[in-house]
Amino acid sequence: MKIDRDEARRIADLAHLEFDDAALDRMAGEMTKILGYIDQLNEVDTIGFEEHGGNEATPMRADEPRSSIDRDGVAANAPKWRDGFFVVPKVIGE
Amino acid sequence: MTDLLDLPFTDARAQVSPRGYVDACLAAIDRHDPKISAFLSVARDAKPSALPIVLKDNIAATELPTTCASRILRNYKSPFDATAVARLRTKGASILGKTNLDEFAMGSSCEHSSIGPTRNPWDTTRVPGGSSGGSAAAVAARMVPAGLGSETGGSVRQPAALCGVVGVKPTYGRVSRWGLVAFASGLDQIGVVTKTVREAAEVLGIVAGHDPLDSTSSTRDVDDYAADLDTGIKGMRFGVVREAIEKLEGEVRANFDAAVAVLRSCGAIVEEVSVPTIGYAIAIYYIVANAEASANLSRFDGIRYGHRSDRAKTLEDVYFESRGEGFGAEVKRRIMLGTFALSSGYYDAYYGRAQRVRAKLRHDFDVAFEKYDFLITPTTPESAFEIGAKTDDPLSMYLNDIFTAPANLIGIPAIAVPSGFDKLGLPLSLQIMAPHFAERAMFRAAAAYERETNFWKRRPPLA
Repeated sequence: MKIDRDEARRIADLAHLEFDDAALDRMAGEMTKILGYIDQLNEVDTIGFEEHGGNEATPMRADEPRSSIDRDGVAANAPKWRDGFFVVPKVIGE
Repeated sequence: MTDLLDLPFTDARAQVSPRGYVDACLAAIDRHDPKISAFLSVARDAKPSALPIVLKDNIAATELPTTCASRILRNYKSPFDATAVARLRTKGASILGKTNLDEFAMGSSCEHSSIGPTRNPWDTTRVPGGSSGGSAAAVAARMVPAGLGSETGGSVRQPAALCGVVGVKPTYGRVSRWGLVAFASGLDQIGVVTKTVREAAEVLGIVAGHDPLDSTSSTRDVDDYAADLDTGIKGMRFGVVREAIEKLEGEVRANFDAAVAVLRSCGAIVEEVSVPTIGYAIAIYYIVANAEASANLSRFDGIRYGHRSDRAKTLEDVYFESRGEGFGAEVKRRIMLGTFALSSGYYDAYYGRAQRVRAKLRHDFDVAFEKYDFLITPTTPESAFEIGAKTDDPLSMYLNDIFTAPANLIGIPAIAVPSGFDKLGLPLSLQIMAPHFAERAMFRAAAAYERETNFWKRRPPLA
C-alpha cells in the first residue's frame, strides 16, 4: 500500500496533526514501508474468524451520583482558565 | 549500603528500618542515575517504607508530574492517583520517583523519550529496552528494589530482558488501568519489574484486583501468587513455540536450549508445539494498537491540559499546532498509521483484517494450552542493542516485540526471567506464558527456573 503526499495530508488532517511538506513526505515514505510489512496479513486464511470475539458485555452500575475530580487540580493544568471554564479561541464564526 | 540493595526487598526489609531503606535508595539514585538517566523526577521527601518503588511516568501519582516523557504533558500533574498506586500506598509502599519511557509508551528502547534516552546499566552505550526502560534500568542498577511499568506489546518484559531483571505482564483486566495513561485500551496493563520472582509475585498481589473505576478490570478473586513458589515443576508441561525458535541461531538459541535443559532437569516435560499464526503478531499489533492509540491520543488537544501552542489563533490552530509541536515523531507515526487503518475505505482491509487474524491467533493459543501448562520462547530476539542502532528504521525497532506482542494480543499473562548472559556480558531472558488468570502457576514455573539458575545475583558493573 503506497502512501503519497496527498494521502498523508488527508490522514494528517483527520488526525489533527500539523506537518510541513518535508516532514509529510518523510512520514509518507515510512508509512509505505510499514504498511508493506503489514500487508502480509492478506496471506492469512481467516474463514470462520470474526472481527470481534468476546461474550462479555460492558458491566453496568447504578446511576448514582458520586464525587468527581478535584476542580483545583484540573484548573492547575489548564492552559487557560477563567471562573471555572477552559478558555479557547472564538468558535462561532464572524 | 550497596549490599542492602542487592537483596530482594523481601529480605532487605528484615535488615533495615524503613527510613534506612528509603535513604539507601535515594543515595543509590544520586550515585548511579547520572550515568543511567532512568529518572524523570525523584521524590526527595519520600516517606519511610519497607517497599520503596518507582513508577513509569505514564502512571499517575499526585505528588509528582506525569509527563509520559512527552513535551505535550511537560508540566502535567495528575489530580488523582492511579488505583495501582493507591493500593501500594495502602500497603505502606513509598513512591521514590517517576521513570523514563518512550513517549506515551510507544517504543522498545527508551530512545523516543522527549527528555533523552535511559542507558542500560550493563553497558551504558546500549539501550535498556522499552518502553518501560527507566523502571527496568532503575531496578537493574540496584537503585530501587521494584518498579511499575506498563505493557501494550511487551514494554515491561522486553526491557526487563535487556536489563537482566524479572518483568511481569498480568492477564488483561487483572490490574486496574485507572491512572495509567491510555495507549491501547484493549491491550494496556500495568506490569511489575523486580530482581526476583518472589518480589514480583508480592507486588502484583498488591496492585491486582477489581476496580469500579475500570470497567475492563476483572471481578475474579486475586490468587495468592506466592503460594506455590517453592512447589517445583515436576510433571508440568511446557510447550516451546516452534515458529518462534525455528529461525533462531547463535547465542540466543543456545541460551534458550540451555533453559529448556534446566526445565527438564527439574522434571518438567518440554516439547515443541506449533502456534502457526504467531509470525503475524507484529503486523496485527501495529494495526490494532495504533488504531486504539489514534483514538486515545486525540484527547491531547491543547484545551484542558498540556501544551497549547503560542501561535494558535483559531480553535483548529490549537488542535493542529499544539499536537504538531507537542508530539514526537514516533508518536505521530503511530497516530497516522492508526488513523489510516480506521479511516473510511481502509477500515475493513486493515483494522478488520487484523482483528480476524488476531482471532485466529487466539485460537492457536487455545489449542496449544489444551496440551501444555505453559508456552515458552526467548523474551527477545537479541540482547541490548546500541543506542542509535535502530532509530532510523522504525520497522526494525518494531521487530523487537516479536515474542512479547502475542501475549498482549491474546490477553494472557507472561513473565520474563533472566536466563544468562551473552559473550558481551549482556543479559538474556526466558519468557514463560500462561493461560488467562494462571499467574499463580506462572510464578511457580518462573521460581523453579530461577532457583536452579540464580542469574539475578550477578550485578551490573556499576561504579
